[in-house]
Amino acid sequence: MASSSHPSAPCAACKFLRRKCIQGCVFSPYFPPEDPTKFANVHKIFGASNVSKLLNEIAPHQREDAVNSLAYEAEARLKDPVYGCVGAISVLQRQVLRLQKELDATNADLIRFSSNQNTLMTPSSSSGSSLQNPHVLPPHYGNYSWNYNPN
Amino acid sequence: MTLKGGTSQACAACKYQRKRCTPECALAPHFRPEHTEIFKNAHKLFGVRKILRILEKIDPSQKTEAMRSIIYQANMRDRFPVHGCLGEIYHLQYQIRQAEKELYAVLSHLHFYKQQSPQQEITIDSSPESQLGMGLQQSAANGLTLFQHQQQFLPVAPFFDQSYNNNNHSGIHFDSMSNTGNDGMWLQQTYCNQNDGKTLVALQSQLLNTQPWTIQEEVTHDYDEIYPFFDTIDDTQSYIDSKDANESSSESSLKETTQSVQHVAGNKLKRAELQLGIVSEDYQATV
Repeated sequence: MASSSHPSAPCAACKFLRRKCIQGCVFSPYFPPEDPTKFANVHKIFGASNVSKLLNEIAPHQREDAVNSLAYEAEARLKDPVYGCVGAISVLQRQVLRLQKELDATNADLIRFSSNQNTLMTPSSSSGSSLQNPHVLPPHYGNYSWNYNPN
Repeated sequence: MTLKGGTSQACAACKYQRKRCTPECALAPHFRPEHTEIFKNAHKLFGVRKILRILEKIDPSQKTEAMRSIIYQANMRDRFPVHGCLGEIYHLQYQIRQAEKELYAVLSHLHFYKQQSPQQEITIDSSPESQLGMGLQQSAANGLTLFQHQQQFLPVAPFFDQSYNNNNHSGIHFDSMSNTGNDGMWLQQTYCNQNDGKTLVALQSQLLNTQPWTIQEEVTHDYDEIYPFFDTIDDTQSYIDSKDANESSSESSLKETTQSVQHVAGNKLKRAELQLGIVSEDYQATV
């Protein structure tokens, strides 16, 4: 199957398509012969012709990523013909919303707790509550922000 | 092209293919005449035959949802030719990590306050339906064992076999284990080929012994919940409007996401690089 001027084995795509794997084959860098399933899946879902056109529209240094994303999407579609990889996006979206909701609730609890503590300590303090002492303030983390007003 | 004996227009699929649109046209219910751009994207990625082949294998009751996912996937590939839907998945995973980190930080504060005033009870008012809230409440009390209880609601993020990455250097290879030193609370994701008889997709927490979840189960269980998803991400209108407007909006969102995914893509990318990527907070709104 390999051309006489191309000593290495044909790529998985050319092997699958039963054609000569020429030196400038657009598939050969991304579909090694050791992994025939990858191309088989991509071809089953998208078709070799479509993939070839897609790759030709993409810069060479990005083609590997494009192929890998196509391979992932093809496999996801084979596993789940109805939703494909979109099902995963849905799951992640809901997870993000859930986490955000929880973050908001926990932030609110923290503010409530800190204000309760402020209230507890203020009557007994003459020079100011311990919260006003910067040395007892918790360290600042990441994006967490809350308003501390020592006054 | 018009329907036989009728005054209705041909569907976008038949219009694009310049053929007569019959009443039996399988694509007509999914591509209204004005959906030319949408069909063009779907045709570019899948092709008519592949779309029909996918639809043939699906229960008739789920064909509409399948077409919506196909259209969504095709539109994403049109907007982001290199990564397609995978870029969005990366972005969401990044958002989840950020949210988890922030949650951990807030719990640290709560724990700190508890230590400061041990006589004061921490009352965390969490909604009953929130499993994470209960988990976090216990975590704050137990001293920052935050993610002990996350197993109940860990996302089932897809992963892809290492064999897809020739030298394990592809930008979308997702090996978290090597990058857990920074925060020590990342999740290891693994993907197993169903043909091997293993779990379809498994997500394992590094911090605890969890039962692996399978994405197939998750999706099957939540099919009803996925229905509203398309209502929020229906970008059909953007492809019906003028092309220039679409290009400008999609270009800006593409640029934003390209900036983020370029950190992901290409090359020997590890999770640390993903964390360093600048991800637009507005990306989600553009999807």
